[in-house]
Amino acid sequence: MKAYILPVKDKDPSAAVNEMLKGLLSSGEVSSVLALQETPSGKSAFPTMISDPEKLSSNVFAPILPVSTGTMVSKMTRVRASPEPVAVVLRACEMRALTELIKLNQADLANIITIGVDCHGTVPINTYSNYPGEKKPTDAVLGGEEKHLRTACLSCKDPVPSNTDLIIGTFGAEMKKELYIISNTEAGEKIMSGLDLKEAKDLKNREKAIEDIRNKKDKYRSKHIEEHSDIKGIDKVAEFFDTCVNCHNCMKACPICYCKECLFESSVFDLEGSKYVNKAKHRGAFKTPPDSLLFHITRFNHMILSCVECGLCEQACPSNIPLMDIIIPVAENAQDEFKYLPGRDPEEEMPMVVYREDEYEEVGE
Amino acid sequence: MEDFEPRIVGFLCNWCSYAGADLAGTSRIQYPPNIRVIRVMCSGSVDSVYVNRALLEGADAVLIGGCHMGDCHYINGNYKARRRMVLVKNILKTLGLGEERIWVRWISASEGQRFADTVKEIVDETKKLGPNPMAKRWNV
Repeated sequence: MKAYILPVKDKDPSAAVNEMLKGLLSSGEVSSVLALQETPSGKSAFPTMISDPEKLSSNVFAPILPVSTGTMVSKMTRVRASPEPVAVVLRACEMRALTELIKLNQADLANIITIGVDCHGTVPINTYSNYPGEKKPTDAVLGGEEKHLRTACLSCKDPVPSNTDLIIGTFGAEMKKELYIISNTEAGEKIMSGLDLKEAKDLKNREKAIEDIRNKKDKYRSKHIEEHSDIKGIDKVAEFFDTCVNCHNCMKACPICYCKECLFESSVFDLEGSKYVNKAKHRGAFKTPPDSLLFHITRFNHMILSCVECGLCEQACPSNIPLMDIIIPVAENAQDEFKYLPGRDPEEEMPMVVYREDEYEEVGE
Repeated sequence: MEDFEPRIVGFLCNWCSYAGADLAGTSRIQYPPNIRVIRVMCSGSVDSVYVNRALLEGADAVLIGGCHMGDCHYINGNYKARRRMVLVKNILKTLGLGEERIWVRWISASEGQRFADTVKEIVDETKKLGPNPMAKRWNV
């Protein structure tokens, strides 16, 4: 690991990163960059694939997560890896999702340079479009404003990216003057050697800042779990999902739900009329569309061990169901059971694809 | 609650537990008639969706029966089933949806008595729990 200092001009850290990315494109170090770029209206920002340096006006700090860049890298590389080097800028949760997708054979890092960005949290898309107050959302959130952040971000497991080639570091840096650039791999170091940046003296400030922010998120997380520990039992759980309209947007937005056709969008549960009538007779009544709770519980079973808690499911819900209230405790308990942390280590095997002979010996006896 | 007769859905693997249930029958071992058996090729092929569906549809208990460890016809299906059912129960426990109604048992083709005892045990325990509250809900 080596750390460098990226000088910031005009108190604009986004512009400094943009210049750095431009340099990578101009020098031919990478042939494209995939980075968050604001739409012309400024109402949102999307991961944008850019090869023309003239068209590069990224804002990697825009506090918005319209889609997981992990999903985009999967789309880009799943059929065949990119033939030319592409630099991908992503947040910690997006990199965690990408790591999980690679384990699921849904993405490939060949020719991909991953550049992580320290994350100060993101706000819902609509909040971003009409951000309250005088400040622009990026300035407000980088300046420490937290009141509009999404639950997923407030209770983030780790806002510092892991397993990326480079990290654009804001934590502990005086952002109006300089940013840290940290290289973690050979590929990252190769990029840095072409940039001619000064090495950072030490990272003590950064380490301290990271510790503080992790503690703060942990605290929020514990409090959040505690406050919602009453969602237990069929009455409460059914009430929680009462406004679910079975649109499956949570599944579509989820970076981990990668199946091309979800079981619940197939005809598996299409039954003949007699089954409907029988079920109605047996229960007296039942709500349609049927199986919405089954959908959520099954979705948990299929993806929760890889859940990176990006909160895209919650953001996608048209009924504003606060999904993270239930996802966080379910994920925490399930991942604890198998001592698995999604996105932690690309070499760590997924719990549902391996087994040990000498485990859970009490089960089934 | 005296006359409550639990309904149990059993997913039994073709090679061991189903044969064990068969043996219980051919050996004329008496066991409660509360179980409805679904034969599957391997306990490892039972996805969580089937178990959860049985539970949400109102089954009072669900049994997943497979070969003893090391005996799986497909070498390791039951090891995978074991992990999967740990996860199923873990999630149900967090949500308080009745993980104690999910049973996992390894029963070999020669263990007719063990199968009969298992069904009896499940019936007894489930009677203590009472009917699955999911059965009469109309809004799940």
